[in-house]
Parts: sequence; C-alpha cells; structure tokens
Amino acid sequence: MTLPKGFGSGGAGGASSADVERMIGKRVENMTGVITISFIAAWLATFGGTAAGYFYYPWAYPTPSGHYAFIVLTIIEAIGYIFCVKVTQEGSNKNSNGLVAGTIAAVTVGTILIALFVGN
Amino acid sequence: MAQMPALIPKEVEIQRLKKIWLIVIAMGSTAASVEVDNFVDGSLHQTSIRDSAFTPAHWWLYSHFVALPLGWASVAMYDRKVPILRGPNNSMNTGLKMTILGYLATMFTIGVNEMWHFWFVEEIFAVPNHWMFNMGVVVAFMGALAYVVRVYARLVELGAETPGENPYVAEMYKMALEGKLYSRAIP
Repeated sequence: MTLPKGFGSGGAGGASSADVERMIGKRVENMTGVITISFIAAWLATFGGTAAGYFYYPWAYPTPSGHYAFIVLTIIEAIGYIFCVKVTQEGSNKNSNGLVAGTIAAVTVGTILIALFVGN
Repeated sequence: MAQMPALIPKEVEIQRLKKIWLIVIAMGSTAASVEVDNFVDGSLHQTSIRDSAFTPAHWWLYSHFVALPLGWASVAMYDRKVPILRGPNNSMNTGLKMTILGYLATMFTIGVNEMWHFWFVEEIFAVPNHWMFNMGVVVAFMGALAYVVRVYARLVELGAETPGENPYVAEMYKMALEGKLYSRAIP
C-alpha cells in the first residue's frame, strides 16, 4: 500500500501501527468530551435565541411560543448528540452511556425548569 | 460497484469517514431544527404578511443558510483525505458538489429575498422570491442523500457498519453495493 509522503519506511514495506496512528490523529471514540460540550453549547445558544425572542420581541415571539420552540429544538439537538456519540463509539471498547444519560437528564431538567420559570 | 481497493489503511479510512459522518449529523440536526423552527414561527406570525425579519426563528433560518454551505465546504476539504469519495476525473464527489451548489444558492437568495421584501410583504411559501430557497434546498438534499449513502455504503464495505439483519434488507444492501438495486432488468 502506498502511503503519503512522510509515512512508512521510504517506499518499501507497509504501514506500521505507529504510522496508522499518526495518520488517524485524534480518534473519534475519544471525542465524546468535545461532542458533549458542543451539545451543551448548542442548547444554551438555543435558550439564548428564544430568550431574546420573549424578552425583546414579545409582540412577535410570545413566551409560550419561545418555550415550545426551545423544547422541540432541544429534543432535535439531543437526538443529534446521541447519534454522534453512538457513531463514534460503535465498534470500539469505549462506552459513554452514563455520560450521555447524565447530560440528557440534566438538559431535560434544565429545559423543564426554564419552560416553567423563565420568561414573561 | 465492485469492492474498491484500499488506498489508505482501513482503520484510517474508517476514522476519517466517521469524522465526516459527525459533521453530517451536526448539519442534519441544524437543518431539522430550522424546519421545525420555521413552522413554529410561521404558526404565529408572518405566515402571510411579514412584520419583522428579526425574530429568533428568522435569525436561525438565515444563519443556517450561511452555516450549511460553510459546513459542507468543510466536508469537501476533509473529504479529499478519503480517496474512495473522489468524484469523476478525480474531482469532487457529485453529490457533495450538488449539496454545496444548492446551499450556495440559498445563501445568495437571502439578499434577493431581503431586496424583494423591501417592496412586497407577502410571506406565503410560493412567492417568487422564495423559489430559489426551495429549489436550492431540494437540490442540496438530493446531493446530500447521494453523498451520505455513499459514505454509509463504504462504511458497510469496510465492516464498520453492519447492514440489516433481515435477509431481505441484507440482500438490498448487497445489490446496492453492486450497483444493481435500481436496475434489476439491466444486469
């Protein structure tokens, strides 16, 4: 197998496991942390968007509408988050089901509290 | 489609395909949320007459018309590291090309749309200023579907994804990989 320049042993022979690791870089199964942080950031940004709606544009975007949008968008983001983590970890010996469950539970509680107590 | 020879180590290719997969999932979530958001927004106001373009749902809608072409462009750049995803004559994958062109059309239509709304306030779906949004998104979705199926089929070929256990579904995967799914009469 021909490897890119800088990899392998100068044309002769194949890729060593060190070469393969270097070509891969950060493995997807080790990206759970950044995926989780991205999901929480997306969720907070969604809250920011809807909050801007019902605090600054209540004539155009009443609070119940903002809450409804926030809940539905949170569900969609959560589905994407679960897909991302499951895709990265399938076939590996990593398992972050606990982290995913905890994050989803925390976001669910946060969403319910926001829908109940935040807004005009 | 015969089994393609590996041009990069299998493990490297799987990891790269999965990184593409992650970006696609993120963009899929974004697109889905925009669709829902637009219905939430449209149910309350500017269904027929525009009152303000600066509502949260519209911020999100407009942002995604910029974010998705940029996201797909990043896929196109990373895609160069996976030889199997090259298009005709070593160019870009055709599905990916269609997706980027479709979303680029929507991105430039934002400006056209704003200019139109300077004079006309109708916000019904079918007004001409929305045509390029709708056509662009449809072209982009068609291209994205073709590209995503190609990535998935390659992950199946490499053994990183398991095709359906139902024998009928498994047979369909096998035929799809051989390029015979939609041409049974023309072997």
